[in-house]
Amino acid sequence: MAAAAAAKIAEVRETTRVERIGAHSHIRGLGLNDSLEARNVSQGMVGQVSARRAIGLVLQMVKDGRIAGRAVLLAGQPGTGKTAIATALAAALGYDTPFTSMAGSEIYSLEMSKTEALTQAIRKSIGVRIKEESEIIEGEVVEVQIERPATGVGTKVGKLILKTTDMETVYDLGGKMIDSILKEKVQSGDVITIDKATGKISRLGRSFTRARDYDATGQQTRFVQCPEGELQKRKEVVHTVTLHEIDVINSRTHGFLALFSGDTGEIKPEVREQINGKVAEWREEGKAEIIPGVLFIDEVHMLDIECFSFMNRALENEMAPIVIMATNRGITKIRGTNYKSPHGIPLDLLDRTIIVPTSPYDEKELREILSIRCEEEDCQMSDNALTVLTRICKETSLRYGMQLIMTSSLIARKRKAQEVEVEDIKRAYQLFFDEGRSVQFLKEYQQEFMFNEVEDDQDEDKMETN
Amino acid sequence: MNNWFSKLQKAKKSCIIDRNSRKVHYDFEDGKELVEQYDLLTNCVTRRAWRTNKELKGEDAWDIEVGDPEPKYDAEQKCMIRENSTQPFITRRITKINLEWRIRNMPYPIDVYSVTIDKGSYSLIVRTTNKKYYKEINVPDLERLGIEMNQENVNFCHKFNTLIITYKKPQGLREFEATLLEEIKKIPAKNYDDEINGCKPS
Repeated sequence: MAAAAAAKIAEVRETTRVERIGAHSHIRGLGLNDSLEARNVSQGMVGQVSARRAIGLVLQMVKDGRIAGRAVLLAGQPGTGKTAIATALAAALGYDTPFTSMAGSEIYSLEMSKTEALTQAIRKSIGVRIKEESEIIEGEVVEVQIERPATGVGTKVGKLILKTTDMETVYDLGGKMIDSILKEKVQSGDVITIDKATGKISRLGRSFTRARDYDATGQQTRFVQCPEGELQKRKEVVHTVTLHEIDVINSRTHGFLALFSGDTGEIKPEVREQINGKVAEWREEGKAEIIPGVLFIDEVHMLDIECFSFMNRALENEMAPIVIMATNRGITKIRGTNYKSPHGIPLDLLDRTIIVPTSPYDEKELREILSIRCEEEDCQMSDNALTVLTRICKETSLRYGMQLIMTSSLIARKRKAQEVEVEDIKRAYQLFFDEGRSVQFLKEYQQEFMFNEVEDDQDEDKMETN
Repeated sequence: MNNWFSKLQKAKKSCIIDRNSRKVHYDFEDGKELVEQYDLLTNCVTRRAWRTNKELKGEDAWDIEVGDPEPKYDAEQKCMIRENSTQPFITRRITKINLEWRIRNMPYPIDVYSVTIDKGSYSLIVRTTNKKYYKEINVPDLERLGIEMNQENVNFCHKFNTLIITYKKPQGLREFEATLLEEIKKIPAKNYDDEINGCKPS
C-alpha cells in the first residue's frame, strides 16, 4: 500500500511539472475553422486574419503533399506575428510532417559551406515514411523481479515473466530495459508490448483477469484481453525519417552513430544522388511514401546573394519542401551586393514567392494577446493595468509590453499583492527602458559616454556588415 | 519446374568448397542474398541463411533459416531483453528423408503436446495443454514450392528434455532438392583451402 501511495505522489508531481515559457509557447495551432476561416481568437492566435487564412491554405497544400518547391514570404514590421504564424503552422502540421526552423544567419559556419548548410536544411524538411517489419513481444506481465546488488553498485539483474493465453516465458533483462521498466512502472497484470530492437515499452492496459484487484486501478485504467498465441510476433510498423537522416546514416562507415555525435560534416553529392534514386525506387514499389514538409527561414534577409541563387535552383527540384521565409526589412541591400531590393531578396526569387503580409495589431488585438500572455506566464492583472499596458504596447512595441508582464508581476508579488495594478506597471515602466526612451537617453548624454571624442563621419559606412 | 526454381536458376551463384562442406551463395535480382551450406557426404543442407534488407541502415544481419545462429559478441552489453537460458528454444535440421525441429528445454511429458498443421500459412503449430508453450513453426521449404502440408507426415517424440518434431519430406520436395543439387554441382567451385585461404610462401 505504501509503495502504491508513493507512486501516486510521484505521478501527481509529474503532471504538474512546470514547463519553460518561451515567447511563442502559448501557440497551439493556427486557429482556423473547418472552412479555413480564421477565428479571431483561437489556439493562442489573435488577429492577422488574412495572413492566417493564407497560411491555412499553405497548410492544406503541405497536407496534400502534391506540390513541391513553393516559397512563401511572410513580410511585416517587427512584432506583427510572423514567427508566431510559423510556430502555429508547425503545431498544426502534427508530429509526422517534418518542420525545420532556422534563422538566416545559422548557415554561416566554418565547418561547412553555406550551400551545404542550406541543402541539409532542405533535406531535413523532407520525410520518408517507411514500412518495416519489427519483432515485438506482446503479453501480460506475470511477474517482474529486479534485484539490485547488496553493495549498491554494479549492474542490476532483472527478470520478466510474460504470458499469453497459450504460453509463458521468462525473459532476462538488460540494464537499459530495467531502467525503462522501472520508469514505466510496469507491474504484474499489465499488458505490454516491447519492441525487441529498440526496447520501447508501451502499456496497452490491464488484463481483465485483474479487474477485481482492489486499489491499483486509477480512473483512466483501460482493461484489455490477455493476448493470444505466441509472445513474440512480427508486426509491421511505420516510421518517418528525414532524407537528411538517411544521408547521414549512409555517408559514414560508422553509420548512425554520427547522428548522435552531431558531427555530420559535409555529405558527398554522390551519396545524396544514390539515396534519391533509392527513395524513388521504394516509392515506386510502394515501400515508402514521401512527405514534403516545411522549411522555415526566419530573418531571411541575412542570407546572401549566393544562397538566394542556390535557393532559386533548389526550389525547382521535385523533392523540394515548401519554404516559408520571414523578414522584417523593407527595401534594403541584398547581402553580398550593393544592390537594393525589396525585403533584401533578389527580384527573381521574390518573383517565385507568394507574399503574405502581416500588419500591425490594433489596440483590441494587443489587449487580447497581452491577456493570453498573462495567462501563460501565470500572472493576474487588473483590467486597468491591462489597459495601461495595452497603451504602452501601442506607444512602444508589443515585445516591450510583454517584457513588462513578468517584471511588473514580480513587483506586485514583492508587495504581496495577488493582482498586478497600474502602479506596478508604472514602476516597471520606470525601471526598464524601452528602445525609444533608450535612444532619447543616449542622445541627451552622448557627451558623457566613452570614445565620443572620435569623429565618426567616415565610420558610418564602414560599420555596414556584409 | 516452378517459380522458385527458376528464380534460383536466374540468381548469380558462386560456390566454394571448404573441407567437407560446399557453400553456395545466391545473389537475387531483388537484392536478397542467400547462402546454403551442403554436407559433401550426405548432400543435405546443414545451414541456410538469408539477408533481405540492406536498404536503410546499411548491411543487415543474416537471418538464419537452418543451422546455428550467428554468435553474438558482448551480447550482455547490447541485449535489452531476451529469453532466459532455461526457456525452450528451437533448432532445425534437414536430413535425407525428413525435416526436423528440436525444441530443447521442454520438461513436460509427451501427452502434453499436440502438433497440428496449418495449411494456409504452411506452418506447424505446437501447443501444450498446460498452456506453457505455443509456437507456430513456418516451413519455408514447402511454402516456396507451394507443396500442401499433410498431417500424416507429422511425427513427434519427447526424450532428453527435448521435443523432436519430424515432417517426412514429400515427393515434390525431394525431387526439387535432387534437381537443385545437380544444378549446383555445375557451378565451378573454388577450393577454400587452396585458392582463397592458401598460404603461398614466395
